[in-house]
Amino acid sequence: MAKKQINIGIADLNPGERKIIEVDGKSIGLFNVNGDYFAMHNRCPHMGGQLCAGPVTGTTLPTDKTEFIYGRHNELVRCGWHGWEFEIKSGICTVDPKMRAKVYKVTREESGLILHI
Amino acid sequence: MIDCDVHNDWVNADVLLPYMDETFGDFLRRGERAGGAQSFPHGHRPWLHPEGYRRADLNPAEGHSAGSDYAMMKEQLLDKYDLEYAILTGEEIIDLSTIANPYYASAMAKANNEYLIHEWLTLDKRLKGSLAVAPQDPEGAAAEIRRRGDHPDIVQVMLSSAARRPYGDPFYNPIWEAAAEVGLPVAMHLGGNGGVNAESSFAMPPTFYYEHHALLCQSAMSHVASLILHGVFEKWPTLQFVIIECGISWLPPVLWRLDSGWKALRKETPWLKRLPSEYARDHLRFTTQPLEQPPNSDHMLAMLEAMDGKNTLLFSSDYPHWDFDDPYEVAIPKDWHENVFDLNIRKVYKKLPQKS
Repeated sequence: MAKKQINIGIADLNPGERKIIEVDGKSIGLFNVNGDYFAMHNRCPHMGGQLCAGPVTGTTLPTDKTEFIYGRHNELVRCGWHGWEFEIKSGICTVDPKMRAKVYKVTREESGLILHI
Repeated sequence: MIDCDVHNDWVNADVLLPYMDETFGDFLRRGERAGGAQSFPHGHRPWLHPEGYRRADLNPAEGHSAGSDYAMMKEQLLDKYDLEYAILTGEEIIDLSTIANPYYASAMAKANNEYLIHEWLTLDKRLKGSLAVAPQDPEGAAAEIRRRGDHPDIVQVMLSSAARRPYGDPFYNPIWEAAAEVGLPVAMHLGGNGGVNAESSFAMPPTFYYEHHALLCQSAMSHVASLILHGVFEKWPTLQFVIIECGISWLPPVLWRLDSGWKALRKETPWLKRLPSEYARDHLRFTTQPLEQPPNSDHMLAMLEAMDGKNTLLFSSDYPHWDFDDPYEVAIPKDWHENVFDLNIRKVYKKLPQKS
């Protein structure tokens, strides 16, 4: 099915910020990750929590020894129910690549952001 | 739909002061509080949740915590899921058992219960209360049950899953005697681990929060075995125990082991007339959250069937905590729903209106 392209206007989010919007009857999280915009369905594939309402965070990166390296700052959102982490850009769950949150392509035009839904 | 584990909270433990006597009110007003000013004076568990233990998607009103904001609880839980009743289990009060001084602990229990009755149970007809008692003071706990257990909106006695002795120990008998006398079930809610109480792991303390969280079932296993083997349910045949938030799937294997042991060595416990698993089936009920989620859900279903989950499970969400379970996502068979979300709960909580 051809995707709809919906102009959602100029977004005013700073990097690391997000807002939840209603578009075409869907609850969608719009995120600014390091200057780029991404959109994610506001429903966790785990148990249906409002995924996009959880904290936007980084996480500890995988290591081969006992050390703690913080990284991916503001690239992840954690569901408020059960705390599963998802990459905002791809919707991929940190611990299980098969578990994906629905994400939507966002492009920019002069008149505003276009959500491909 | 009835929710058996809803955490109401206070912003500041000073709310208890109006309900305390001069001695212990002065302890609380001027005395040391482990969490700093305004906190409840419990010994906090040493496993600290790195994200905080409350749901991160809730936005309580200014000055509130997620559980202290009744308006949000009403909107996000009671109305959203059209709950008929929500059984309140408190928040910091669950760690009452960690206070070393049993008399101070009982004073806090009493104050909590008055606060609950006056300031929560009056808010909404759907809210029902748990009467907190201090297990380290069995006589004080029994007195509290007899003092307030007959309140129409108090539906159970509640204590924590960590304690200084397993709950079958005759030390605790006064509590069970009083609960049976007033006809209230006893709920054992996850909590109270650390300090003067048993750790979550009997191999000695775990390190990480989620290690601790996964192993919390060990306390419940010990209490279940102890309650059954000491004959608590022979002495008080009407007593019902509700195990809250301690996990589920560990139960069948523990009962299988106890049954095997009883067949060989019942001479150690001659007061038991039946298999340990039969006492469990008749006297123990388990709240659903958090249901384990194995990769193959059939494995979980087999365990639920092994414990007759259709008749022994009670729905709980654990609102507003981080591992909240949405009632529409609870992985149990459809034809169990009427029991688990309603009928099983009314059978245990006899003060709820009964369906004919």
